[in-house]
Amino acid sequence: MKRHRLFVAAAMATACVLTAACAVSQPAAPVAKTAVPAVATAPRFDAPADVARGRSIFVGTCGAYCHKMNAMNGDAPFLFDCDWLHGGSEAEIFHTITHGVPGTRMVAFGGAIPDEDIWRIVAYLKSASQCKK
Amino acid sequence: MIGNRLARVSTAALAIVALMATAGFAYAADPAGGTSSAEIPLPPPPTAWYAEKPVGASAGPVTQDMLAKSPADASQWLLYGGGYRNFRNSPVTSLSPATVKNLHVAWSAPTGTTGQFETSPVVYGGVMYITSSYNRLIALDAKTGAFLWRYDVKLPDDLRLCCGPANRGVAIGGDVVIMATLDAHLIAFERMTGKVAWSVQLADYKDGYSATSAPLIIGDLVYTGVAGGEFGAGGFLDAYDLKTGKQVWRVHTVPGQDPAVAKTWAGDSWKSGGAPAWTTGAYDADTDTLFWTVGNPSPDWNGDTRAGDNLYSDSVLALDPKTGKMKWYFQFTPHDVWDYDGNTQLFLIDTEFNGKPVKAIAQPNRNGYFYLLDRVTGKFLRATQYVEQLNWATGIDAKGRPMVDPAALPQDNATKRVCPSNLGGMNGSWSGAYDPTTGLVFAPSIEACQKYQKGMVTYVKGIPFMGGMPDTTDANEGKAYGLLSAIDVKTGKVKWRYHDARPMMSGVVTTAGGVLFTANMRGEALAFDQATGDKLWSFRMGGAGRGQPIVYEVEGKPYVAVPSGGWTGLDGFAGAGSMLPEGGQMFVFSLDK
Repeated sequence: MKRHRLFVAAAMATACVLTAACAVSQPAAPVAKTAVPAVATAPRFDAPADVARGRSIFVGTCGAYCHKMNAMNGDAPFLFDCDWLHGGSEAEIFHTITHGVPGTRMVAFGGAIPDEDIWRIVAYLKSASQCKK
Repeated sequence: MIGNRLARVSTAALAIVALMATAGFAYAADPAGGTSSAEIPLPPPPTAWYAEKPVGASAGPVTQDMLAKSPADASQWLLYGGGYRNFRNSPVTSLSPATVKNLHVAWSAPTGTTGQFETSPVVYGGVMYITSSYNRLIALDAKTGAFLWRYDVKLPDDLRLCCGPANRGVAIGGDVVIMATLDAHLIAFERMTGKVAWSVQLADYKDGYSATSAPLIIGDLVYTGVAGGEFGAGGFLDAYDLKTGKQVWRVHTVPGQDPAVAKTWAGDSWKSGGAPAWTTGAYDADTDTLFWTVGNPSPDWNGDTRAGDNLYSDSVLALDPKTGKMKWYFQFTPHDVWDYDGNTQLFLIDTEFNGKPVKAIAQPNRNGYFYLLDRVTGKFLRATQYVEQLNWATGIDAKGRPMVDPAALPQDNATKRVCPSNLGGMNGSWSGAYDPTTGLVFAPSIEACQKYQKGMVTYVKGIPFMGGMPDTTDANEGKAYGLLSAIDVKTGKVKWRYHDARPMMSGVVTTAGGVLFTANMRGEALAFDQATGDKLWSFRMGGAGRGQPIVYEVEGKPYVAVPSGGWTGLDGFAGAGSMLPEGGQMFVFSLDK
């Protein structure tokens, strides 16, 4: 039952975001908490030192039993093939990391890892991705 | 991905409801529910099918005497380790090198779940109790495989699991079977009906805890540890009253209030030091000692903030079973930075050392060494290499301390292949076995090396706290393979080895008839001659072998139960990844008279 309830709530929230009428009747702030922030607001943390720190945090926190450096069998998605399951913009990746993916082993890291470091992880993932040509 | 899995499971469950509704099963609906106008009204998922008539009722309660003598009565298999000394050695003689070629499938049963099927069945009163991934507990007719009762534990969808949704079986005692769960509960079920007798929470799963192994029952108490070493969750071992579920004692594996322990952890790093006691222990009735092993310190691959030996991580603890008071400890891998949990199977073997009799503990450790300890004093006796590739240490000194190669420590940009892999060697998620006749311990293992990478991590409750990542170089290149090693306990030397193209990650059972059973990651159930290592028989089950085989008899006829079904996540990590689909299936083989 819980899963269906969540789905309905999510569908309603999505509807709110997509319709102007809803935005009028609802304060913007609560909606923004669950909505994906605009790409334009993504801060820049892609200097070499930032990317190196992002890699180190990725290695120390996200790898091992979860995400792999090589595209091998595993239940946590491989993150370096440009095939993004939950959106491939920097803001969408940031959102996935901070909010987690319900129903999977991907927990929400928002608040656990400082936002600046999550942006550095995003910058590392982007820099290390090898897209198919 | 788990969402898809749940959808598949519930479809299968509905089909089984339809089948069972006509077969005399009592369907117990989930009492929770309630709807509001905003919800889509759907019936709650089924969670349990209780036996209408008590099953196995002709057998009385499981007594302490039965547990102490197990597995002497071949009609029973009562303990994860076969007996308290963990030999996993069946008294059945009819399964021999001469007869094993005549084995055929007697019956088979699905679990309906994906994820590794690691159960070690329990057999009592003609009933087999198995657990699947995601904590389904199923009672089957041990002769025919007919489903007798079933209970699916409802689990939250934000479990904190490092290594898949495994469960390794129940403990049985009195008239209950007890299972530990992925959301860190301990649940006792009436063995004849499947109804819950009691349930307790071990810890809050959101803090990083889970439980996967079979509990152990001694007398009036049931013992279980927890997993959580990849989340920095403080390890412990608990004792509960078998009848009520009331907690009797808890032993913390990192008791930082003890100055002798605290000084082995820099600063207050012990508070997030992990060290989970996630496997099943052993019991020595002669000295009334409970032995329990402890896993890796956290974070796994970065020891910079936890300088020191990190007690009691990677150790074996000798405890008073009634109070939890420690008699002695021995640490296998001080200041572990490779994830070499100290908790592979312990064998309590009376053997010889330097020509003198000794009450020993033998253990094929995850770090690649085969240890022999005096189980009365905890004194280190000997360690010998049982894997083919080992270079994290140059040897073990006279006191049992490894001589670590500094070049094998994790690096920011690691380039050195270090062996064994973080999963072993042997691993606590599968069993080995011992044959008292030949004096051989049989240890299935992974043969692989990795480049251990170090990274940054900060402890936050319930968030992964690993500090690094092994670059699974051998696994990536298809170079990982498997061993089944027969190790002579008297000498520590390997007598024979079976090589498999994939890591060996299934448990073992031996028989008094001289044949051992195991399975490989290529989907085969296997039988070997215990004395020579000759492969005698195989059967294509299909799924990867990740479970613990057992042997039992019904009406004097022998049966061999072998679980089939892997988990791609960990299989790939170990270098045993393949196209084999997941899905648990129990295969039971027999001989015609």
